Amino acid sequence: MSLLEIRGLSVRFGGLSAVSCFDFAVEAGSLVALIGPNGAGKTTAFNVITGVYAPSEGSVVFGGRAIGGKAPHVISALGIARTFQNIRLFRSLSALENVRASLEGARRSGLRDVLRLSSWRARQDAATLAARALLDELALGGFADARADSLPYGEQRRLEIARALATRPRLLLLDEPAAGMNPAEKLALRELIRRLRQDHGLTIVLIDHDVSFVMNLCDRVVVLDHGERIADGSPEAVRRDPAVIEAYLGSDAEFAS
Amino acid sequence: MRVRSLLAASGVVALLVLLEVVAPRVLNPYYVTILSRIGIAVIAAVSLQLVNGFTGQFSIGHAGFMAIGAYASAALSVFAGAALLDAVSQVVPLSLARIAYFPLVLGFGGLVAAVSGLVVAVPALRLRGDYLAIATLGAGEIIRIAILNIDVVGGARGFSLASPAHPAIDLRFESLAGVFGVAVVTIAVIARLVYAGGGLAFRAVREDETAAESIGIATTRVKVEAFLVASFFAGVAGALFAHSEGYIHTNSFGFVRSFELVAFVVLGGLGSLTGAILAAATLTALPEVLRGFGEWRMILYSLLLIATMILRPQGLLGQRELWPISRLGRGAK
Repeated sequence: MSLLEIRGLSVRFGGLSAVSCFDFAVEAGSLVALIGPNGAGKTTAFNVITGVYAPSEGSVVFGGRAIGGKAPHVISALGIARTFQNIRLFRSLSALENVRASLEGARRSGLRDVLRLSSWRARQDAATLAARALLDELALGGFADARADSLPYGEQRRLEIARALATRPRLLLLDEPAAGMNPAEKLALRELIRRLRQDHGLTIVLIDHDVSFVMNLCDRVVVLDHGERIADGSPEAVRRDPAVIEAYLGSDAEFAS
Repeated sequence: MRVRSLLAASGVVALLVLLEVVAPRVLNPYYVTILSRIGIAVIAAVSLQLVNGFTGQFSIGHAGFMAIGAYASAALSVFAGAALLDAVSQVVPLSLARIAYFPLVLGFGGLVAAVSGLVVAVPALRLRGDYLAIATLGAGEIIRIAILNIDVVGGARGFSLASPAHPAIDLRFESLAGVFGVAVVTIAVIARLVYAGGGLAFRAVREDETAAESIGIATTRVKVEAFLVASFFAGVAGALFAHSEGYIHTNSFGFVRSFELVAFVVLGGLGSLTGAILAAATLTALPEVLRGFGEWRMILYSLLLIATMILRPQGLLGQRELWPISRLGRGAK
């Protein structure tokens, strides 16, 4: 059975249909790219999977449980984490605090914080260690005490990934992780995604604009256009797919006229 | 670490003794009253800072919860307290009974305010930004006007703590050590809440609600918790106010008072406990300091507020803390 299974998903905002009749299954352990032109419905699909939007129609099943319409924090607890297209860090908190905020054990608030019960300090120290380990893993160790919004752009993107990983997800959704990066940074990011997938046993779905970034990275590419799936297959096959070429470049007929 | 906290504790105790024993003998009663009002303002400001400065929810009806704490505790004292103290004083000395009685009264005022805070928070916190601000303003006014129309607590006449059935028992509570002791406890509890592990949830909600949800923080619950704790301590501040003044009127808890509290947290720096303390103390003392200017004093007061906001738009301390408080919560390195 697939880890994530979306069937007949439609999302409408008033009269506007952002996603329609979208079927999408992700096998455990795979690395899938979701690509498409601007406004194709990629981020909307992510927002439904993570509970930001409720589906207008259709079902979303994760690990055998229906999650469509559940609150984002509930879905997070079930094992789905994400990053955002327009970086959403806790800007005035330090890099370390950004990651610590994701660690449920460090976060549980209330009387324990006030009374400092014996288990409290041990749990705080364990959380700090775990957060530092994640920062090191993403080569952010030197930025631990820096304000998140003072980090360089690429580091902010990695910090968002670190924060997502701290929730210990099974499925990681990356929304345009390569946006605004130069070719060298994209290459490094590709390496990082491969490594994280291996080391954390992750299933990853990532959004990008075009097929070239995901070419040597993903097992499978799904192409969305105007809210509908127009192609699904290996990167090579998708690259040659006439429907995909048309979506990106327009049809020959248009060129001819 | 241990030495430092021991030092801090003894510093606090020394300060309280100084306030209790020395201040009333050296200062005239007018200054003692101002000091007591500063302590109460600090409690209210620090509790509001939890909501406005640390959780990022803009509440401008905080005085309403002070009103509930004040009236609930005063009602307890007038209708049951005097009789209770009278009965207990048959067995133990009255002074001893009073020492045990006041935490009870303050806690009661706080609890009733917390319950009403919950009633307001659950619907109001579904709103954001301006809408939330207006809803809290409305809630504060509803509370004030509701109390104004309850005759058993005096209605428009105000409510006096004098208990005709037990004229010998003074229900007022004129103790600077008491007021500032409660202030210290309030600051310690809220500092631990916002700077310890759990505090990250408050601050994450302030920074970005969508991102906070995405990492598993139940943002609505966090906001309600902040509101609950804040209204509890506002209620305690109100109870202290009622019992140190001996007479309360709903006019003391109108939206002017609420805005004053908002000025404390904004001027001190949203997200700074020490900033809120500093601003609450300064702005409570300032109108008294300016009394020499006669009718110009409130104009000067307003000009000073405007000037401060132009010169320090982020507030006196921004999000920083003066030394000891930020460390209070940092358990882990």
